[in-house]
This record gives sequence, structure tokens and C-alpha cells, in this order.
Amino acid sequence: MIKNEIIFHGIEKRQKHYYIAIFIMFIILAILVCLNVTIGEKNYTLAEVVSIILNGENNYIIMKLRLPRTIAGIFCGIAFAIAGNTFQTLLGNPLASPDIIGVSSGSTVAAVFCILFLNLNRGIVSIISVAAGLLAAFTIYKLSCKNGFSNSRLILTGIGAQAFFTALINWMVMRAAEYDVPTAMRWMAGNLNGITTDTLPLLVIVVILAFAIMVYCNQSIRSLELGERYATILGVNVSVVRTLLMFCSVVLIAFATSISGPIASIAFLSGPIATRICSNNQTNYTSSALIGAILVIAGDFIGQNLLPTRYPVGIVTGLLGAPYLVYLLIRQNKGGVI
Amino acid sequence: MKAHSLKAENLVAGYGDDIILNSVNMKIPENKISVILGSNGSGKSTMLKTFCRLLAPKSGSILLDDKSINCIRSKDIAKSIGLLPQDSIAPAGISVAELVARGRFPYRKFMAPLTKEDYIAIEEAMEAMNICMLADKSVDELSGGQRQRVFIALALAQQTDILFLDEPTTYLDIAYQIEILDLLKDLNKKKKTTIVMVLHDINLSSKYADYIFAMKNGHLIKEGEPADIITPETIREIYGLESVVVTDPVSNSPMIIPISSHDEISGVS
Repeated sequence: MIKNEIIFHGIEKRQKHYYIAIFIMFIILAILVCLNVTIGEKNYTLAEVVSIILNGENNYIIMKLRLPRTIAGIFCGIAFAIAGNTFQTLLGNPLASPDIIGVSSGSTVAAVFCILFLNLNRGIVSIISVAAGLLAAFTIYKLSCKNGFSNSRLILTGIGAQAFFTALINWMVMRAAEYDVPTAMRWMAGNLNGITTDTLPLLVIVVILAFAIMVYCNQSIRSLELGERYATILGVNVSVVRTLLMFCSVVLIAFATSISGPIASIAFLSGPIATRICSNNQTNYTSSALIGAILVIAGDFIGQNLLPTRYPVGIVTGLLGAPYLVYLLIRQNKGGVI
Repeated sequence: MKAHSLKAENLVAGYGDDIILNSVNMKIPENKISVILGSNGSGKSTMLKTFCRLLAPKSGSILLDDKSINCIRSKDIAKSIGLLPQDSIAPAGISVAELVARGRFPYRKFMAPLTKEDYIAIEEAMEAMNICMLADKSVDELSGGQRQRVFIALALAQQTDILFLDEPTTYLDIAYQIEILDLLKDLNKKKKTTIVMVLHDINLSSKYADYIFAMKNGHLIKEGEPADIITPETIREIYGLESVVVTDPVSNSPMIIPISSHDEISGVS
């Protein structure tokens, strides 16, 4: 018998708070999606959009532009968010996001090279950039393993690798940009322009599969949050779970990148924002996925409709990420550990 | 419930090419409190890590109920062997009750919420460590002594009948040290939990331990009850330290008084 129920009131209260927060985020995302499909150069009412979609009408703006764009935004947002959150959780540091430590830009390098110079189709590009992302992750890990692995060395090595990859990307984009500025912009900051419907099914499948695997490992991740030692003691197969989750994250990042380009800051911001909202007592896969989707869709809406000129989504989200990065560096620096 | 037996056979372990433990045989006495003593670098922490699967042995084996732990599912081992590591980190902002609840990992089913058994185990663990009133506090806000009790409760929620603790009293002042060790002694008496600790303080070891293992340079050099181990000869052998052993007037356990090079002037020897 439980004698002292009062000690569990907090757990129940926070559980309820969590579900309410998830519900509200879901509503916000739904509203943003509606805004995104209805508003633009030509405005539609929601009823019109719904009837166009349900009847499968051949409306170019909705069916070929806004809908694919919104779906890509949602799923790329989810992919970046849960991959970033996984990295941050497994490495125990909010700075250890794949877009800070070079993993994202590793797969971007491959994607840019294949698309701009080899003219390969998107499916092959996705596969190559997954491989490149894994290779980048592995190389960064190996480089930071000298004299034993340390998280801070991984982050520093990663930031170095990031700078190197970004330079490579910029160089390739500069060479190609004479002909194609929008494509170039995609690879600099992430952009949802020119998404074609044929790339979407694979993205959706990959995101759903990876999400399912991560939810399946949910309990193990909670134990891993206490550190590798505790996870081992609690009976988690640490190396198996960690390898699997890292692999899923890199695949997510690479797929999403090959479609939308590296949308700035989503991987880096979503997890911490979700944690702030839902407290750290829950594993925040669902919440950070929702935050990721909200950030991308909101960023895209702002970039398309609310600013004097049209900006790609990555520029808008990048503006959000920079101050947070500075804040984090200052705070962690005060604590004396990176 | 029959206690699980745990022993190490011809254990060789170390880091990289360094061999720290050199063919150690150690059988943990069931339902007792044991302490592993030894100077810095003697291999006592390594011993603990190897018992808890944090370090894979280079050769030899750890046997749980006479079965090598390599052949047992990790979750099943986690139901028998718990550990309080030397330093523990908590996710920022987590509450005490939720942290303790994570000790239930080996019992939880996929996607299922906490069961009634989970709740009972969590409550018992928190009661045993006297932290029920801290349930909703954030772990970041706690004092060192409270924190240590929370992490012990996490290990207790795991409901193992063997519990290892790596220097549970380090960084705590003397009152907290006694408080923690008293709680562990209660636990051993009430639930018959087998407790194995690494402690630095010889006098506290002899006060609380039923059995002491003395290690030096990766070898187990002596084992037995405190009265047999805490002698000037053994202390000299382990630490290279001269000492006088007297009887603690309160608990009647042996107590050492170290001799410093300045003491000889006053004629004690």
C-alpha cells in the first residue's frame, strides 16, 4: 500500500502539466499550418483550401507550392529537433547539437557537392549525405578520442570541424552561385522554396520510423540522462542504445538537410525550449518535435509574409539561435565547463 | 528471500595496458556490511567498478549465484546489484521524486506508466532515506547530505539485495557521514541488504563494517572481521603507517590512532 500519497502529487501534477503543454503546442502548430496554407500572394479561405485538398483539385498554388512546403517544414522541423535533442541528451550538453558540432554541415557538404556539381537526383543525394553525416560524426568522435573521450573535447573539435565544413560549403556555393542564387541560399541557411512533392514520402517515412525508434528507447534515454555509469547499473545496454540513437539522429539530419538545407538553430534550440516548457522531468521527444515543427513553420511564415523582402526560413530561425548560443556560452563559461 | 551470492574469481582488470587488479579472489559475505580498505591506487574502486559491470575484466570472472554475469541479461543483473557511484549528476531541474523513480528502470515495461509496485518501491526508498518531505524539491537545490540521500534512494528504488557504495561519505561533514552510515546500517538490519562500501576512514569502517577487505597494489592482502584487520601490523602493511590501536569506548570496535613523525618526541610508540 502507498501510505504517503503526497510525495507523488508533484509527479502527477507535472504529468498533467506536460499533457496540457503538448496539447497547446499542437493547437499552435495547427494554427500556423492553417496560416501557412491560406495566406500568401494569393489568399484563400480555410474552407477553400480544405475543399481543394479533399477534391484533389489541380490548384497549383496549394497543391504544388504551399502544401508540399508546409509538409516539408513540419517534418524537417521534427527531424532537426529530435536529432538535436538526442545529441544534447546523450552527450549531456546543450552545446552538443549536431548543427554546432559539425555533423549537420558534414552532410551538407556532401549534399551541396552532389547537387551543385554532380547534378544527382535527390534520392541518391539523401543517401550520400547520410553516409557523409555518419562519416563526419565518426571522424569528429575519433579526433576527440585521443587520450580518452571527453565531451568538452568533442564539442571543441566539432566546432572546429563545423568551421571547416562551412568554409567548404561557402566555397562551393560561391562557385555555383553565379547561375543559381536561390539554390545557394538553401545551402547557406536552409530554405523551403522549391520543394517538390516527390521528395516528401521518403522524408515522412524516415522521420516516422526514427521517431518510433526513439520513443521505443525512451526509458533507456531517461537512464542515460543520469550518465553512462548509471545507465549501465540500471541495466541499459549503453553501447547498443547509444549507437542506435546516434545513427537515427544522423540519418534524420542528413535527410532533412538534403531537402531543406541546414535550417539554422532548429536542432540546437528545440530541445532546450521544450525542456523549459515541460520541465526536465519528462523525456521531451514529443514536445521538442512539436517545437521544431512550430519554429520552422513560424519562421517560414514570418520570412515569407511579415518581412519587407522574402527571407528563407533559415535566416529567421538563425536570428533566434544566435542570442541563445551567446547566452549558453556565457552561462557555461561561468560554470567553468564547456 | 535467499540472498544472492556474489564473488570475483581470479579477476584481472585495468585501464588500457595498465593492470590494476591482479588475480583477485573475493567473495562478498551475504547480508553483511563489508568495507574495502586500501591506500590510494590500491584497486578498491576498480574492484567496485568491475563488480558493477562498469569495467570489463581482462580475465577471470564475476559470478552472481555462481553464474558469470556475462551470461545474465543486464536488466536482471540490475535487479540484483545496485551502486552509488562516487559522483552523480542529475538532469537540471529534475525533482527528487522523479529522480528516485528512474531507479525503477529495470522493472518497467515499454510505454507503461509507473505501476503500483513502482510507487511502493519509490516510497519505501524515500522513507528509508528520510527524504519524503523533499519529494517536490529540485535536486539542484539540495545540500550535499540531502543529495547523497536522494541518490542512495535512487539505488534503493532499484530494489537490489546487493548494494555497492563508492565512498558515500566523501565531501560530507562528520554529522552527515554518521547519518548516512546509520541509514545504511538500518537498511542492512531491516532488509538484510548486502552492503559493500569503499571508505577512506578506517575508524568509521571498523565501527560499521561486519567484514573488511584490505587491498594493496591490486591484491587482496587480508580479509576478516574488523578486530582481525584493524591491527597495527595490518595498517602498516596496507598504508605503511605506524599506529596504535585502542578500543572505541562507545562501540567497542577497534580504533586507530596514527603516529606522526613528530609524536615520537612525546614518547608514544
